[in-house]
Amino acid sequence: MKAYNKEILQDAAHRLLFDMSNDEYDTLVNEFDIIIKQMNVIGSNSSIDNYEPMIFPFECNTTFLREDIAAEPLTREEALRNANHKAGGQIKLPKVVQ
Amino acid sequence: MIKNYCELSIEQLHDLLVKKEVTPLMLAQQAIALAKLDKSNAIEYLMEKEALEFAKTLSEPEVDNMLWGIPFIIKDNFSTKNVPTCASSNVLSGYVPVYDATVIRKLKEKKAVAICKTTLDELAMGGTGITGHLGVTFNPHDKTHSRLVGGSSCGSAALTAAGVVPFALGSDTGDSVRKPASYAGLVGFKPTWSRISRFGLFPFAPSLDTVGFFTRNVADLSYLLEATAGRDDNDSTSSSRLVDNYHDQINKPVKGFKVAVINQILQVIKDQDIKNSFTKTIEDLRQKGVVVDYVDMDMSILSSLYPTYFVISCAEATSNNANLDGIKFGPYYDAKSYEEVMMNARTKGFSKFIKRRFVFGSFALMSENQNDLFIRAQKNRRRIVEAVNKILENYDFIYLPAAPSIAPKFTDKSDALSDEYLIADNHLCIGNFTGLPSLTLPIGKKDGMPFGANITGRAFEEGKVMQICSAIEETTGLKGLYAKGE
Amino acid sequence: MEFEPVIGLEIHVELKTNSKMFSNAPVCYGKEPNTQIAPLDMAFPGTMPTVNKNAVIFAIRVCNALHMNIDKEIHFDRKNYFYSDLPKGYQITQNLRPIGSNGYLEIEIDGKTKKIGIERLHMEEDTCKQIHFNDFTLLNYNRAGTPLIEIVSRPELRNGEEAMKYVEMIRSIVVYSDVSDGKMEEGSLRCDVNISLKPVGQKEFGTKVEIKNINSISYIQKAVDFEIERQTKLLLAGEKIVQETRRYDSNKNETILMRVKTDAVDYKYFPEDNITPIVLSDEFVEAAINSCPELAESKKYRYINQFGLNNYDASLLISDKDVSTYFDELTKFTKHYKLAANWLNVDVASYCNKNFITINAFPVCPKSLSELIELVAKNDINSNQAREVFASMIKDNISAIEAKEKLGISSQISDSDFVMNIINEVLKENPQAIVDFKEGKGRALGFLIGQVMKKSQGKVNPKLTNDLLLEELKKR
Repeated sequence: MKAYNKEILQDAAHRLLFDMSNDEYDTLVNEFDIIIKQMNVIGSNSSIDNYEPMIFPFECNTTFLREDIAAEPLTREEALRNANHKAGGQIKLPKVVQ
Repeated sequence: MIKNYCELSIEQLHDLLVKKEVTPLMLAQQAIALAKLDKSNAIEYLMEKEALEFAKTLSEPEVDNMLWGIPFIIKDNFSTKNVPTCASSNVLSGYVPVYDATVIRKLKEKKAVAICKTTLDELAMGGTGITGHLGVTFNPHDKTHSRLVGGSSCGSAALTAAGVVPFALGSDTGDSVRKPASYAGLVGFKPTWSRISRFGLFPFAPSLDTVGFFTRNVADLSYLLEATAGRDDNDSTSSSRLVDNYHDQINKPVKGFKVAVINQILQVIKDQDIKNSFTKTIEDLRQKGVVVDYVDMDMSILSSLYPTYFVISCAEATSNNANLDGIKFGPYYDAKSYEEVMMNARTKGFSKFIKRRFVFGSFALMSENQNDLFIRAQKNRRRIVEAVNKILENYDFIYLPAAPSIAPKFTDKSDALSDEYLIADNHLCIGNFTGLPSLTLPIGKKDGMPFGANITGRAFEEGKVMQICSAIEETTGLKGLYAKGE
Repeated sequence: MEFEPVIGLEIHVELKTNSKMFSNAPVCYGKEPNTQIAPLDMAFPGTMPTVNKNAVIFAIRVCNALHMNIDKEIHFDRKNYFYSDLPKGYQITQNLRPIGSNGYLEIEIDGKTKKIGIERLHMEEDTCKQIHFNDFTLLNYNRAGTPLIEIVSRPELRNGEEAMKYVEMIRSIVVYSDVSDGKMEEGSLRCDVNISLKPVGQKEFGTKVEIKNINSISYIQKAVDFEIERQTKLLLAGEKIVQETRRYDSNKNETILMRVKTDAVDYKYFPEDNITPIVLSDEFVEAAINSCPELAESKKYRYINQFGLNNYDASLLISDKDVSTYFDELTKFTKHYKLAANWLNVDVASYCNKNFITINAFPVCPKSLSELIELVAKNDINSNQAREVFASMIKDNISAIEAKEKLGISSQISDSDFVMNIINEVLKENPQAIVDFKEGKGRALGFLIGQVMKKSQGKVNPKLTNDLLLEELKKR
């Protein structure tokens, strides 16, 4: 596992596209200490790797596939009514440099 | 003094509606008036206009439809068409959904009348009811407003407990309905994962999330589950099993049912009053011919509940909330680049509590950390689930106090490393790991504050869960409990 | 030092389903911006994905055509990253268990067949479309959620020609299996190329350069060959190859640096928690495979071995799926396959080219064209007349028979006795020509045929005339 410290967690936050106040990173490091320690305890149980990772709470395989039938789409007004920055029926952003 | 109809049960109100002693409009008006008077800070958006308009259209009572004209409230993380929905987060301020959640659609079709959208811990991530963007939601049983009501479904719990409506919609990812139900003296219920469509429920951790309900008695729950359960092609995880006739099951005798109480969880609870009341309910159950045994569970599994929950739920949450970027909806802050636009929306929109969870969840998903965190938690989830299912091979139910205490005061500090916190305060997430139906109901009071116990049953045996809970309810004298106003 | 190029291709193909990969919004091109959207496509909170059945069927068809192992349990994963065109903040894709794995396709290089390994084929969803202006960008979500398959080759291609042939082959497969338009120019088939060079004999690969968004098949070869040359020059000059993304500029015929790749992005993949595993029955997979229309290679084989066409004609017919469909239709009405192929590959093709239309817009239907072909086959009209008839059929929108009548072309006379009479008359009038013929003057025969034609006003069957004349001359 990657080591963590304030800088690494700050980088992780920035990659999630937000920032926090300096104090928060200290709190976060403390929280990490606790949880990582607890996760290490779980890892120290030698049988843990005998378990398949569980994604869903129980066996729930399905055969369902949606029929390929198009439904009435949203009107443009509905689609865009919650967007707060738009122009000419489209959402507008500062120029995205590729 | 005007009679408060809203303190009654769904069954009682239905009776009055059919007899035309009250009308849906009268009930809606009263619920709105009570909601306005309520001081627990539980409301995100009062649907006054919508509710009254809808109630006015309901004139001829539907005798076979228990939910006809019944007022209810909605946790603000359910998508409601044309009604603002922000999940108590600034990142969604002003968001007005274009579609109804399936459960909302079904309740509308049953002609239940939505009164308001209620507060929650921001984006349902929290268990205290203090992290929403409107601040703390208070416990209505404590008139001094010094106790929390629990979360994340805090507003729904508070208003149902205050007798504003007979039922409320909540959601439960770790214990977000069943824990506040204990603190607020309510029946709080999560069905089997996949039993009720989650389409339109803002996702926190989809592998754990369920729609849930608050009521003030067990029987009311049976009508709600019948009305909302079932296959929904919009939620491809929803189960196609037929929906049972739950209400018919409720009053059947419970003789011969087998109940397991987990020793190790009971042992870490210190509050003797809670333990005594709990033991009393066991004696009552035995009186009714129920077999109650104390069983053991590996302490190391129990201490792993909380970290396992934390890792899985934070990891899923960080991805599920990546759509909140201010571009398609939510407040937009202009900037020089799209990254800054998103950064602004997320930095200003999220509170510190959930930012920390997102950072943790994202760290747990990093490729070099996954094996030690996310995947390990998923493996441990299976270990937990296997241990629980092993008990349920021999028993119909697991029965435990829902929480180790009455609703804590805002000033109380819990020791995050104590067994009492790690195990007794967090064991309800077993119901989410396993996806099993789980119900909390009030069993006693201490210092004027209620506390509850929790029954967890086998998958898709919701009817049986309600059946035994109904039997417990008969003996507690707390059926229909609510916090009377000043 | 000699270098060996190592080339791998990642091809994204937009599937032409009715609805999107995970929502029921229509998949429709050229509509007003932001009018083909379901709540999921803009990632409205609470929306959930549901898997499109046809997208799965289409993916299976292509997997089968590429000889891949098909996973009968469908699993999806989330690829987490932030970008302006990605509404959910993650893309639903298949990371751990792609629907198809370990396949190959065959390309023909200098008459030899080469097998190219294919690592995987997975299903995923497209992003929204960005239109960039001078100082802002507009987002159109109509494309968001369009079903995609991504086909990842093994790094077994060695030069531009192989890369181009590979893409051509993939294009042919997706078009013939009727799962995509396969139009590179319109972005329904997109190709990213990874190229590295290593000294011949060395095992380890060199530093990889990616060329993105090449938008025409012909540019693939050029871009790859340019890039090989560029890297070779750098390496020979002792310079290092930088790991970077480049694009191909067709005007300058060179690749241009877009961005240097810094640290690899961690996509934090994890299983999609809103889609439980989907189990496909054997019957479902079989039906998906059987629903696949005939692929180009199979058609070509049939044209050669069943219809007796040569490789050239057959290849030409299958190079455009619509042309081969037209041809298949044509062969329902005429058994003169060679003649039919010729008409399609020459006259019809030239008409379409001149008028900038595809075969689908060609005004004469296969049945109608077959009548013209029958006339030619029966020697009822000669080839010059046939061209006139063809032109009239198009211009006047009439049948071959009607056109022939309109043009006043009477049927060729194929009555041997009648033709013989004219031949005898002509021979009688031209004794010198008979002498010339006997002396081996080639022109004499042509002269005599011309005289017969003239006397009959061009109505006799030229082939019959030729045969009878030769026979008669031999007797004399």
